[in-house]
Amino acid sequence: MGRVALRGIRAHLVQFILSVLAVTLGVAFVAGTFSLRTMMSSTFDGIVDSSMPADAYVRGAEKGAGYSMTGTTGETRNTVPASLVSTLARVEGVDMAFADISGPIVLVGADGTAVQSTQSPSFALALHPDDATVTVVDGRAPTGPSEIALESATLESSGLSVGDRTKAVVAGVIQEVRVVGEVSLGAPMAGATIVFLDVATATAAYSPDGMVSTISVYATPGVGEADLAADLIPVLAGEKAAAAEALTGNAMRAEARTDIEGQLGFVQTFMLVFAGISLFVGAFIISNTFSMSVRQRMREFALLRAVGASPTQVFASILIQAAVVGLAGSALGIGAGLGLVSLLRIGFERVGMDLSGSIPLDATTVGISLAIGTLVSVVAAALPARRAALTAPVEAMRDAASTDKSLRARTITGAVLAGAGTAALAAALLAPESNGSTTLGLGALGLVVGVLLMAPIIARHTLDALAAVFVAGIKPLGRLARGNVVRHPRRTANTAGALMIGMALVGAASVLAASATASTRSIVDDGWTSDFSVRSATGNVPIGAVADVRALDSVAEVDVLSFGPTMVTRPGETASPENAVLAVGLPVDAFGRSIDIDTVSGSLDTLTGGQIAVKNDAAVERGWLVGDEVTFTSQTGTTSARIGAIIDTQLVGTPIIMSDTLLAQVVEPAQTTVEDLLITAAPGTAPADLRADLTRVASPYVVLSVLDTADFAANLADQVNQILVILYALLGLSIVIAVLGIVNTLALSVIERTREIGLMRAVGLGRLQLAGIITIESVLTAVFGTVVGVTLGVAVAAVMPTVFTGTGLTTLAVPWAQLTAMVGLAAAVGVLAALWPAVRAARLPVLDAVASD
Amino acid sequence: MTTHSTARIDSNPQPDNRSVGGPASPTSVIASARGLVKTYGTGEMAVHALAGIDVDFGRGELTAIMGPSGSGKSTLMHCMAGLDTVTSGTVVVDGEDVGAMNQRQLTRLRRTRLGFIFQAFNLVPTLTAAENITLPLDIARRPVDRAHLEAIVAAVGLKTRLHHRPSELSGGQQQRVACARALVAKPAVIFADEPTGNLDSTSSAELLGFLRRSVDDLSQSVVMVTHDPRAATYAHRVLFLADGRLVAELTNPTQASVLEVLGSLGAVDDAATAPELTAVGA
Repeated sequence: MGRVALRGIRAHLVQFILSVLAVTLGVAFVAGTFSLRTMMSSTFDGIVDSSMPADAYVRGAEKGAGYSMTGTTGETRNTVPASLVSTLARVEGVDMAFADISGPIVLVGADGTAVQSTQSPSFALALHPDDATVTVVDGRAPTGPSEIALESATLESSGLSVGDRTKAVVAGVIQEVRVVGEVSLGAPMAGATIVFLDVATATAAYSPDGMVSTISVYATPGVGEADLAADLIPVLAGEKAAAAEALTGNAMRAEARTDIEGQLGFVQTFMLVFAGISLFVGAFIISNTFSMSVRQRMREFALLRAVGASPTQVFASILIQAAVVGLAGSALGIGAGLGLVSLLRIGFERVGMDLSGSIPLDATTVGISLAIGTLVSVVAAALPARRAALTAPVEAMRDAASTDKSLRARTITGAVLAGAGTAALAAALLAPESNGSTTLGLGALGLVVGVLLMAPIIARHTLDALAAVFVAGIKPLGRLARGNVVRHPRRTANTAGALMIGMALVGAASVLAASATASTRSIVDDGWTSDFSVRSATGNVPIGAVADVRALDSVAEVDVLSFGPTMVTRPGETASPENAVLAVGLPVDAFGRSIDIDTVSGSLDTLTGGQIAVKNDAAVERGWLVGDEVTFTSQTGTTSARIGAIIDTQLVGTPIIMSDTLLAQVVEPAQTTVEDLLITAAPGTAPADLRADLTRVASPYVVLSVLDTADFAANLADQVNQILVILYALLGLSIVIAVLGIVNTLALSVIERTREIGLMRAVGLGRLQLAGIITIESVLTAVFGTVVGVTLGVAVAAVMPTVFTGTGLTTLAVPWAQLTAMVGLAAAVGVLAALWPAVRAARLPVLDAVASD
Repeated sequence: MTTHSTARIDSNPQPDNRSVGGPASPTSVIASARGLVKTYGTGEMAVHALAGIDVDFGRGELTAIMGPSGSGKSTLMHCMAGLDTVTSGTVVVDGEDVGAMNQRQLTRLRRTRLGFIFQAFNLVPTLTAAENITLPLDIARRPVDRAHLEAIVAAVGLKTRLHHRPSELSGGQQQRVACARALVAKPAVIFADEPTGNLDSTSSAELLGFLRRSVDDLSQSVVMVTHDPRAATYAHRVLFLADGRLVAELTNPTQASVLEVLGSLGAVDDAATAPELTAVGA
């Protein structure tokens, strides 16, 4: 039977090509994901190794609340005195010890804008003259506050050369500086902007209190890392006040790697979602191919059964074919995945993010890819194979192909699932408080799977309506095309399934994006009362800029909105990093002046007396009530405060709002970020004049922008629109797969309908007319998938504002124009997909078609 | 047995020799071929399906083409109908040179001047009987002559089956729908390729009777390929092919005269079915 199976593939090679391609596409994402992940890991490992070269590290022993650039609260430790260096340097076996001094910096490039690549940090390091791990490759090390050296990649992307003059914002203050050297760290730094300062300048800027987060310790030759760290421990035990601990360089690097792996996990999850979607949808293509192939070869299977093959053997022969298709597709997919990663790497390089040289391909990636591709294709072929196995030997004698089996069971299952899904969505809509998001997720899943199962029945009824325009408009082609798509509703539905899933996702996402934009606009319109806002592209407004803005005559008031991490506990609880939250601090006068916040209970006036306000959803989640007492813990100590108000606002993203004076007590200054300056104009100042003044003051800082209400809303909306990039990627992917699926089905059905086509050509159907029929079929299939998919997506997304109202999604907006465009796009996709099958059909010689059996 | 004129002819008959044998109707030519050669393959492998045929088909006649398997009878019909290209020679249908036509012109020819009836798979499964009948007119975007359509439908006895799909019709009914479709556009000539090949004798008789009446009553011209001697008796004239050549011709054939000629051609494969057919017909 194995030979029969393999011969079968060879004889019908064309039929399986597109199935192979479908597997290829899905596996490409799987293989690409893993190899990208490995490549990024090795790049970041390289960064860790070259930026943490010391043999041992000394750091704070106590954990506290931290805040990372990704907006999540994480773990930090207490700082240690830089003066420990002299003590440590005297320890036996220690060659050198340096305090690691670093902090954020804004470097102005040759083009006058900030040197910054997307998502990569920009920071300054103190360059210790004795440090052997950094090499000055050109020029010299900086001395004094007006000199800097740049890391090689930073120098290149800045467009500056050694000797050039430029500006930098160091610790919030604009400095005129000169580039005096180029420094190499020995590995690609993935786009980070790295500036070196001399030790005195760096200390003044980033460690004015003499505290640093780590101290690097280097061993004398012959002393191992573990011995070195062990020797340091008793020394630190003698410095109780420092609350410091020592660990080996390897342990430190391992921790850093673990942190990075966690961040990379997000990228991997995201790409695996793509892989999952494309494999799931690819399974539809494979399933369609095999059911059409089985249909065509019914007599062959009946013959095999008649000469003594068992149902199991017939079943196995189809699965062998599926496995071959899967293996071939997976092998190609691995290649395509590597190609994908190469393209991505080029893309990353374009935006200034260098990744390490080789594209890795390990045995695990190959194994997983092959297994997934083969499994998907075998599973997809299982149902058609079962049908083939159940062929009665007597079928060999029959002439007509057997009819499709009943859709009843499938439809009933689908209806039940879809009904349950709809009920769950309704429940989420009516009672969003009780597990709304879980109910919503399950409901959406049930609805989508249910509709996929019901799709053949839906197709039968919907297609008549969709086809009406063609039937009436293009006689008799429209009617012929409708007949063809309605003839095998299961096939049409499976073909449209690819587009259905993609369009459901895209439809939902576009409704969410539109709703988020509309919500943001209404939030800003409601609560924003200041005249202008000054924000920074780095997320932190430099202190110097605050002073400069305050000094303007046209400005009456500047309300500084800052935030930072702290640990919040109720009486009786012990503070730990798990209690970390972000808190926002504002001058008490800002309420009503530059920001308008609704209170649910209590009063914002209590903030003057050192009480705090908490957001409604956080209060509900944690059971906080007005009058409750909470404790904030930071390195500087603990502070207790009473909850004075529960507020309902989307303007502030953090759960806790307090006066700026209280914030200064509960968050260390080094961890406080100035997010926003809310500016009120001096009486009689025209907005245009104020804007001109603000822009003049802000522009030297390079990264600052001046926004009025409209700009601010647009700015927030822009951030929302960034998810549209993902949306378009998803749209592109579903279109590619949809085209594959439609081409596959049409090409196979052209082969299946050879005689019918020949007949119609014999009675006078022209080639263009034939191509027209196939094009209409294709467009009908594509539009059907899109309409059902978009409807599903919009239905699910429409429930979300009610369920997620607490997260700022307050208004439902349906982007009708965009959705209509998607249907138009589907029609275009239909025409595109029909090209090849139509040409094939038109080229069929009439006689071959008539004579074929 | 009745007497009949049997004209034994060579492979290169003179046209005027044959055109005398028509029945009551006066014969002018609706389709003709001269020096028709069709070769498949090249060199050693070449197979001469048609080895030089000159033939005229009469207007208003039912002409049957017979011959053993592989004699080239289907190829001749395909070439006449423009479904297949010719290696050399000319084919003229209704005054037009088919050999000189491109695909577009051939499509137009099939659409407007020709009707087809095949042995099987004659109908588009997604269309009703009525839609199948008017398909050539719909494709050509020509208006349907209602009176003509009703006359044809009545003649083939399909009035009550018009809104059924092909799968709901018997084999005989399907072939009658195909006949009606071939007739509806009033083509110059109808080509029928084994139209009764899959039918029982009663259905065959109905269909052949209908084809003959379309010639007698509507002056339709029909060319029919068949291997059934009984079907051939419905024709005005029977042409016999063997090895790609025209070898014999009968006018006003009877079953006996047809069997006699076939027997002389050594068409053993047809002999097997002949006694059975005789028995059924008796």
